[in-house]
Amino acid sequence: MAIFNLKKREIECKIVYYGPGRCGKTTNLEFIFKSYKKQVRGEMVSINTEGDRTLFFDFLPMGLGKIRGCDVRVQLYTVPGQVKYSSTRKLVLRGVDGVVFVADSLEVRREKNMLSLKDLQSNLKEYGKSIFKVPLVMQYNKRDLAEQGIPLMPLEQMERDLNRQLKVPSFPASAVKGAGVGVTLKECLKLTLKALQKEFKWAQ
Amino acid sequence: MSANKVLAGSLKFLTLGEVMQILGGNASSGILRIMSRYANEPGVIYFKDGNPVNAACSGRSGLDAVYSLFGWTDGEFEFHQEQVDVEPVINKSRMGIILEGLKMVDDGQIEKLGPDAIGTSRMAATKGEGVVPLMKGPLVDYMYIADEEDFFDGESIVEEGKHGSWIWVVLEGVVEIVKNTDKGPLPIVRVGDGGFIGSLSSFLIQGHMRTATVVAVGNVQLGVLDSQRLAQEFAALSAEFRTFLISIDRRLRQLNQRVVDYYTGAADPASMINNRVPVIKQGADEESLYQVAGGDAVVVRHHEKGMVPLVSLPRGEYFGSVPFMELGQEPEYASVLASKDLKVKKIDAGKFKNEYDNLSTTFKNMVDHMAAAISVTTGVVCAYHSKESR
Repeated sequence: MAIFNLKKREIECKIVYYGPGRCGKTTNLEFIFKSYKKQVRGEMVSINTEGDRTLFFDFLPMGLGKIRGCDVRVQLYTVPGQVKYSSTRKLVLRGVDGVVFVADSLEVRREKNMLSLKDLQSNLKEYGKSIFKVPLVMQYNKRDLAEQGIPLMPLEQMERDLNRQLKVPSFPASAVKGAGVGVTLKECLKLTLKALQKEFKWAQ
Repeated sequence: MSANKVLAGSLKFLTLGEVMQILGGNASSGILRIMSRYANEPGVIYFKDGNPVNAACSGRSGLDAVYSLFGWTDGEFEFHQEQVDVEPVINKSRMGIILEGLKMVDDGQIEKLGPDAIGTSRMAATKGEGVVPLMKGPLVDYMYIADEEDFFDGESIVEEGKHGSWIWVVLEGVVEIVKNTDKGPLPIVRVGDGGFIGSLSSFLIQGHMRTATVVAVGNVQLGVLDSQRLAQEFAALSAEFRTFLISIDRRLRQLNQRVVDYYTGAADPASMINNRVPVIKQGADEESLYQVAGGDAVVVRHHEKGMVPLVSLPRGEYFGSVPFMELGQEPEYASVLASKDLKVKKIDAGKFKNEYDNLSTTFKNMVDHMAAAISVTTGVVCAYHSKESR
């Protein structure tokens, strides 16, 4: 649920990067933070959570223009995957406007991806959201590892595993190298803004 | 309550992290006060232009205080908009504080102050131990109930060591009386419908300290008693009868402590019995009530595993036969041993009985419940004693 900040004339919405541990959520955000410096507002908050890091920063996407005279400010978050971080997850997921699901292309992580997606579904449900309705984009990360001879799942298989029912936009990526990071975020922003416009009939 | 209170609510609905985000989004300046019934004093966070600049909470200040407040999951908050002129000591970003604070809660680095704090440890302690006896109270007298409160499974109603003088009666459900020990929380008895939470000693002094933790077992409905009315009734009793009731109340507390001692292995039963001679034999036909005027006495239960010292009675305490109370101790079910220099004063128990008969129903129920608790806890002491001697 986007927040209208009348004082600052801003619309504040929330995009969350979700996915199994070590899938590259934080790498995605770190790359965005580095490469889109001009659009980043404030510092990056980085919390060391077990096995992963939780990141947060504010982002002012360029080229989206203003909506009814208001700037759009996006809060970008990663969610700690471990079950025990329920307080953090609750704060991050409450009122989420868009989700990027980062899947790990490593063959050995196949099951982890599916479990995490299921977990996302049940977490969203807790906040009254349906995974079928929330603006969602898939990213198949770590494609570059194929060059090193590490067994990866073919994109078709990942698509079947994770996206058969959802049918959301999906992108191959290599977050370490920055490939596919921007396009994933842009697509998610587009879907999120569209959903907000539809919800509030701004398009009229 | 000042007029500039601009935002207030329950932390169960809006967590501290969310409140901080709202204040941040509005670039508000003022004081956020956080109240919890599990804490003696409210916590305070000062905001300047939406950012926390300083805080205070149970002796802590600055960032430490803010972090510890994230552990207050059950409570009320209110924000007062005003100019703050405290020294700014926090310069970490707002979201950084929120995410770090929540992470510390989830990692267990911050003490949780709320219903689920003791719930989990209670479960751990109850496992493997014998069944905790359940005592039910008499029929509830609704005359003195000022309010009703619901508690959910595992929620703690009062906490050992915290201050408070409220007294509840269990309307429906079961609560567990738990003592904190070096070996973790130890459930002593369970109290069911009609039983009371809180003791007579809360009438004595303000800021009475709780001597045990009480946790809901399953969902519980409690009636809050009009303790002022009860305190007035207590104050109107004769000084002797008041001393007597408090003496009996101290017995219950000693018994609880004894259970803890046997459980942790800190008990030294021999030292309580040594050099003392019997003055009342268990099962004897004793009809008088005495007050210790010099020396001291010990109440001892004869048990198949030997003698179990229950309570020690220094000067001023009472022993003997109490015609209107079933304590489950001397003379029928325990002996009294005394030091050789024991001096006693004979007490007119008939006078006490008259006062007891004139008590209001609720007060009488409380006294009866206290007596029943003594009787049940005596059994618990013996059970732990024989466990230890095994």
